[in-house]
Amino acid sequence: MDIGIIIAGLLTLAIYSFLYRDNPVYKAAESLLIGLSIGYALVIFWQTTLVDRLFRPLFNEGDLILIIPLLLGLMMFSRFSQKLTWLSRLPIALMIGAGAGVSIPAMLYARTLKQISASVAPLYTASGGFDFSALVIILGLLSTLAYFYFSRRHEGAMGKMAKAGTYFLMIFFGATFGYTVMSRLSTLIGRIDFLLTDFLHVLR
Amino acid sequence: MSGEKRRWIIFAALFAVAIISYILPIQIESRPSPEVQKSYDYIENLPDSSVMMISFDHEASSLPEIQPISLAILRHLFRKNLRIIGLSLFAEGTAIGYEMLNRTARQYGKIYGRDYVFLGFKPQHISAILGMGESIRRVFPEDYFGNETDTLAVMQGVDNYDKVAMVISIADGDRAVQWIEYAGARYNQKIMAGLTAAMITTYDPYLGSGQLYSVVGGLKGAAEYEKLSGHLGAGNRGMWAQTTSHIFIIVMIIIGNIVYFRSKSSQKGRG
Repeated sequence: MDIGIIIAGLLTLAIYSFLYRDNPVYKAAESLLIGLSIGYALVIFWQTTLVDRLFRPLFNEGDLILIIPLLLGLMMFSRFSQKLTWLSRLPIALMIGAGAGVSIPAMLYARTLKQISASVAPLYTASGGFDFSALVIILGLLSTLAYFYFSRRHEGAMGKMAKAGTYFLMIFFGATFGYTVMSRLSTLIGRIDFLLTDFLHVLR
Repeated sequence: MSGEKRRWIIFAALFAVAIISYILPIQIESRPSPEVQKSYDYIENLPDSSVMMISFDHEASSLPEIQPISLAILRHLFRKNLRIIGLSLFAEGTAIGYEMLNRTARQYGKIYGRDYVFLGFKPQHISAILGMGESIRRVFPEDYFGNETDTLAVMQGVDNYDKVAMVISIADGDRAVQWIEYAGARYNQKIMAGLTAAMITTYDPYLGSGQLYSVVGGLKGAAEYEKLSGHLGAGNRGMWAQTTSHIFIIVMIIIGNIVYFRSKSSQKGRG
């Protein structure tokens, strides 16, 4: 049997041993997972960012403009010195400024404008039929907004709307939790498939 | 019985239910949901050699759920003789993505560089997504193995999203949201998502607004996709175990509530 499969099988069992109780075998497997994930990500970042995008073009191909991002990157390390920590503010300011400039218009369009236009769908379809889903969306939207509106006391009609909002929120949380349970079970079933098929050869 | 011991028994029972159900040779009918049907139909109706971009934006820990989705979609893409550009915007998805892409390609006798390519990982995913809208070559001058992207037959005529029929993001987090917000909103690129079930509600608003074309969600989505493409795999194998496990959890919730309300009413009676 492939040594990789044996290691993967034993580590799967080590992780699931946590369901009984916390134990050193689980702790070792968990630490290994975290260490490997970070190590792998570091190697990928080193190669794809520093080597491919910086060192090779700068030192092998003489692309001198890359000295600017190199210096900005190095300035980030000035945070470790109390005297020079102000230097790190420049690359941070650049990152925040550029990030906000790129993100704000995109988010405003995709998360706000498009979502609002999708939420105010007509209650009647083109064929003249009543669209119950559109009504649920409008009621859900207004009542949930009412729940998060804190500038007025939740009394009377406002209180009833806010109360309805909590029901919509509960339905959302319930659906999300249900999907999460489904997701975790899928992971369990995936590992059972691996254990029975590849590791133990019980199934073909 | 102590709470910890009771918890252990419930976990053991759930594990037993899942494992026994998985071993039993029972298959249940997966009726495709409209979303999965829409995903399948779009790919099915694409002409030969259309370009599809598939991004493996997930961690290794979600592989048991993500893999059946990825494989079901990849099998369909290769069977349809489409040109496939693979990449990853999540470091951990890089090697996994390449392995799945390569394994499926071999099954269909596809040749690297001519029928498919893997561009590898790119950090700063937002700039990568935006950059590819202008020039894929500029963002990925080389593929995963250091070949110049320009020299690969699969990339001929593909400069940016204009020639890409659809981007499929296989995600276990919100990386597909960035595809929607940047490639979709700015470049009008059609986006489909292969998601873990836990993420489905996060993407529902985008689906409702039409910003996301379609979704294949969770092991159930994979099973439905496999059913449509006529190649049953891990998704369908796991459906019976998933069904029985869900029933077990529902029964446990009902029993838990009965016990809770009975103990509450008996406390009231004593008080």
